[in-house]
Amino acid sequence: MAPLPFELTPAIAALPFVSFLIALFVGAFAPRLLPKGGAVPGILATGGSLLLSLWVMLTVSGGETYHEYVTWVAGAGEATFDLHLGVLVDPLSAMMLVIVSLVAFLVHIFSLGYMNDEGETGLPRYYAGLGLFTASMLSFVFADNLLMAFMFFELVGLCSWLLIGFWFRDDAPPSAAKKAFLVTRFGDYFFLVGLVGVFATFGTSMFVGGEGEGAIQSFPHIAEQVLAGEGAAEVTTYLGLDPQAWFAVLGLLILGGVVGKSAQFPLHTWLPDAMEGPTPVSALIHAATMVAAGVYLVARIYGFYALLPQVLALIAFVGGFTALFAATMGVVKREIKQVLAYSTISQYGYMMLGLGAGGYVAATFHLMTHAFFKALLFLGAGSVIIAMHHNEDMWDMGGLKDRMPVTYYTFLSGSLALAGIVPFAGFWSKDEILYEALVHGLNTPLLLAAYVMGLLAVFFTGFYTFRMVALTFHGEPRSDTARNPHDVRWNVKGPLAVLGILAAVAGVVNMLPVQKVLGVKNIDFLHQWLDSGPEALSAHHYGELLHDFAHYSAGTIGSGVTTVLLGAGLSLALALAGAGLAWKLYAVPDPEEHTDKLGGAKTVLFNNYYQDEYQVWLAEGLTLPLARAADKFDQGVIDGVVNGVSSVSLFGGSRIRRVQTGVVSNYAFLLTASFVVLLVVIGLVGGWF
Amino acid sequence: MWIEALIAVTLASAAAVFLAPNKVAGKLAFALSLLPLVGSLWMYSTYEASGNALLAGSELAFETNFDWVVAGPYSLSWHVGLDGISMPLIALTTVLTSLALLASWTPIDERQSQFYGLMLFLEASLLGVFSALDFFLWFVFWEMVLVPMYVLIGVWGGPRRKYAAIKMFVYTNIASLVMFIGFIALVFGLGDSVTSLDMPAIAQALRAGELGSLGPVGAGTLKVAAFVAMFAGFAVKVPVVPFHTWLPDAHVEAPTPVSIMLAGVLLKMGTYALLRFNFTMLPEVAQNNAPIIALFAVVSVIYGAMLALAQSDLKRIVAYSSVSSMGYVILGLVAYTLYGMGGATFQMVAHGLISGLMFMSVGVIYNTTHTRMVSDMSGLASKMPITVAVFVAGAFGYMGLPLMAGFAAELFIFLGSFGAFAGSVWFTAAAMFGIVVVAGYLLFAMQRTLFGDFEVETDYEVGPAAFHDVAPLVVLILLVILLGVDPSIFYDMIQNAVDPLVPATGGGV
Repeated sequence: MAPLPFELTPAIAALPFVSFLIALFVGAFAPRLLPKGGAVPGILATGGSLLLSLWVMLTVSGGETYHEYVTWVAGAGEATFDLHLGVLVDPLSAMMLVIVSLVAFLVHIFSLGYMNDEGETGLPRYYAGLGLFTASMLSFVFADNLLMAFMFFELVGLCSWLLIGFWFRDDAPPSAAKKAFLVTRFGDYFFLVGLVGVFATFGTSMFVGGEGEGAIQSFPHIAEQVLAGEGAAEVTTYLGLDPQAWFAVLGLLILGGVVGKSAQFPLHTWLPDAMEGPTPVSALIHAATMVAAGVYLVARIYGFYALLPQVLALIAFVGGFTALFAATMGVVKREIKQVLAYSTISQYGYMMLGLGAGGYVAATFHLMTHAFFKALLFLGAGSVIIAMHHNEDMWDMGGLKDRMPVTYYTFLSGSLALAGIVPFAGFWSKDEILYEALVHGLNTPLLLAAYVMGLLAVFFTGFYTFRMVALTFHGEPRSDTARNPHDVRWNVKGPLAVLGILAAVAGVVNMLPVQKVLGVKNIDFLHQWLDSGPEALSAHHYGELLHDFAHYSAGTIGSGVTTVLLGAGLSLALALAGAGLAWKLYAVPDPEEHTDKLGGAKTVLFNNYYQDEYQVWLAEGLTLPLARAADKFDQGVIDGVVNGVSSVSLFGGSRIRRVQTGVVSNYAFLLTASFVVLLVVIGLVGGWF
Repeated sequence: MWIEALIAVTLASAAAVFLAPNKVAGKLAFALSLLPLVGSLWMYSTYEASGNALLAGSELAFETNFDWVVAGPYSLSWHVGLDGISMPLIALTTVLTSLALLASWTPIDERQSQFYGLMLFLEASLLGVFSALDFFLWFVFWEMVLVPMYVLIGVWGGPRRKYAAIKMFVYTNIASLVMFIGFIALVFGLGDSVTSLDMPAIAQALRAGELGSLGPVGAGTLKVAAFVAMFAGFAVKVPVVPFHTWLPDAHVEAPTPVSIMLAGVLLKMGTYALLRFNFTMLPEVAQNNAPIIALFAVVSVIYGAMLALAQSDLKRIVAYSSVSSMGYVILGLVAYTLYGMGGATFQMVAHGLISGLMFMSVGVIYNTTHTRMVSDMSGLASKMPITVAVFVAGAFGYMGLPLMAGFAAELFIFLGSFGAFAGSVWFTAAAMFGIVVVAGYLLFAMQRTLFGDFEVETDYEVGPAAFHDVAPLVVLILLVILLGVDPSIFYDMIQNAVDPLVPATGGGV
């Protein structure tokens, strides 16, 4: 009998699902009975989920983990396999459960201020969407196999579509929702191929193996055994590839889904558009949780990726590139949520860089701190947007610092974390990622290139972050609404305060540089946390795999301490330089745009490197004409042949009909002639002659 | 005698409705259709059978088998019975018919008693097709289906109804002829080892390799020729590209309830027959030519989806997407694996429900807007929220959203076909791309018609649909979700019936 909180794990997802059902059905049939349009059931449910998640996390910290599954579809006979649904609670999933349910809880409360107080209609639909999303996301987090993960991966995509398109009466949100779903679907296609490939190869998609003889093994474990050439594990590979190469293909295919959901280059284009959704939705789905699903998935099956050096290098490179690429686009944006959207893409790039560079803990660490500070920044932006009567243009803001101090100071906390200024949370996590990329990059040139891109991105991050802060909160108000902003209430300030504190202090869970430089023991709590739990899922084991299979080894510049200090100093200096430059340019009473100084680069940046253009062209310039051509071909040629056959028979019929003249002598002639011919034929065949 | 009772009650209901006055025909037909519905559900709940109906060692449910016409050593028999493949299709038929009858109340406003009578007659024929196990009997039911279908499209259809009805009738009838010749050639090739048209006997003799030569044609050639003839014949019904062009015409002209039956059940006759005849009786021909058959499947999936993308009429979009979805069935069948063939059969049911749902929602929209053109309407979500909600849910079901029936079916098919035969990895991966294209055209269509500012070119008053229009939609979406959450409702019996077809040493998983 597992401990009670583990038995209750499914309820963590079930509670928000119930709130979804309540919002859906009571909202549809008796909206008057629904308190606050569904917000209250949602808050209660996510609050319950948060408490249960904390309880689960507490139990995990006692050294216990949990894995239980049921058979969803049983394959008949010996030769096939079953499909399972299950719950896996280990340090990684327990941590993520707390992050997701915390952010979901705060976003529900914030929504009272952003949606209810603003008099939005369709609230039950909104809260139903949030409830379904939270339930799906939490189920995704505790999924124990790749199939279940895929199922909820798709369901969060549906919720994203529903919530981006919440204001469906306008033109832009439905279009953005469609784009978001389609682009991520394109990535999910590869994920699905990979998922089916995993089943065909390993016969299971479990993340963790069972206990005892004959239990189902996890597929990363089987892959490890095969590559090590030990154990009785047998796999089928396809396309004539050896296991190493075929596993790399599978890893890349699954990565397709990751790149789509976590908005990595080249499938990042949907995320900025997704800002059409309500801001709390952006905070929950498009910053802290759903976008994290891709990165979380890689972390979840890190035991598989750690076997595949080429794939790891690609992950790191894509991550580093995305981090830099997106950060440069964030520099010129006018709208506060657009800056944050590109910042999100860039930050997930860092996580991918960390995972690819062998920094499993570092990436997970950044996943956590980013969830806090980016949710904070989005909610802060939401607060500003309320104040500005839903005007998002930063050039209409200015001087909000004195008019909304709570928002300002929490936003500042989040900004310092985002820019990576010591001692805010983002500094520690981003620094650890860059450190991992550096030390492993010293022996692998491709990783070093990724590191350099990640490092450059730090400068741009500092710049766009403080450009945003300066334009929004400093200087003189540049519009009437900025002079007389709308008030926000406790339901907005409360979540901001909680997240503001977390963004400032969450770094203490893993102050690795301090440990290394000062020699203080055991303050790398996150490392210890991720080292506990099942051996096969521990950070320690992943380290061994990286060393044995991917041949990762850490280099140093001078001594270990110098490397740490050098890495941290470099990134801090760049962040300060970027932030300082932005401050000098924009934190003045009457800032100018300065973008013209960029010359030709300005146009390229405003157009987001023309990424949208070519993707829209792929859809509307290539696929649609192709479809129309196929339609023409179908109507003209294929159906033409069908109708042609019938015309020919009709025509032939009308000709043959002429034989029937109605003249008796003609018939008599035909009769006699046919009889003679028949006789001759029979005679010839029968051998009469 | 339960199957006989089911068919007889349905036929009697058809006759009763035919004679009833127009005013009450709709309600009477719906009420009477509940009898076979309850009957089939009762049969499902007491269903006990194992194995495949056509193979040795099977136990059939509700089986009756007696000689009907005897001439010397030759006989025709009345042989009906259900196994795990036919039981779900029987349930699908009765459920969809009742819901389609409910969906007829609004759009059908003339000659109601004839319309509803024919619908019930259609149901009886379909029940016969899915339960008959004697070829002669089966063929009678098979052809019987065409008669009400022809009239239903030709009388109650749209402006080009005559063209569409004749095209459908002639095309599928010629296909039946080709198939008939192919099958009878096989029977003659078996010589005196089989003296009846009993399908299990024929299947078992063919699988035991008792096929001799027919005239100058050797057994090997005969098999391939018969396979091709039967495949071509059934491919028209499915329909497989390039035999599909009758389908969009028929759908566009047919009234909503007829489209529901056409897409929901009639297309499954084609895949059901392919499974029963080609893939059960001549497995080695199918397996030897798996890549060619898979090519037909993949072309149907992708080409059908591309055609759907090019359409501007909601009903044509759904019609072409059926071509695409039925392609998956072929891919699953040719895999000859448990998940492949089981998934293919499950997809017949899943697609039956989902396409029925989609045609029904398009019909409900048409009832109020009097247009189906995507460009003629926008923002319907503000005016008919429940219909739109179900439409959206159904569309996502079509896209294969997890925990809905379509996902389970497609997942099973992909799991089954990946690695099952030479080149299957590429074929499977190519077919899977259909899930992206289907999302493309459905999302585009929904964005244009359901969202944005409300506007309808036809200037009709648009409001929430009537209860009897919305209720069947809700029932269908709930069924789709139920089957998606727990596929084993049907999948267990399906697996049991397809398991004997899977070769012991097959490839794949």
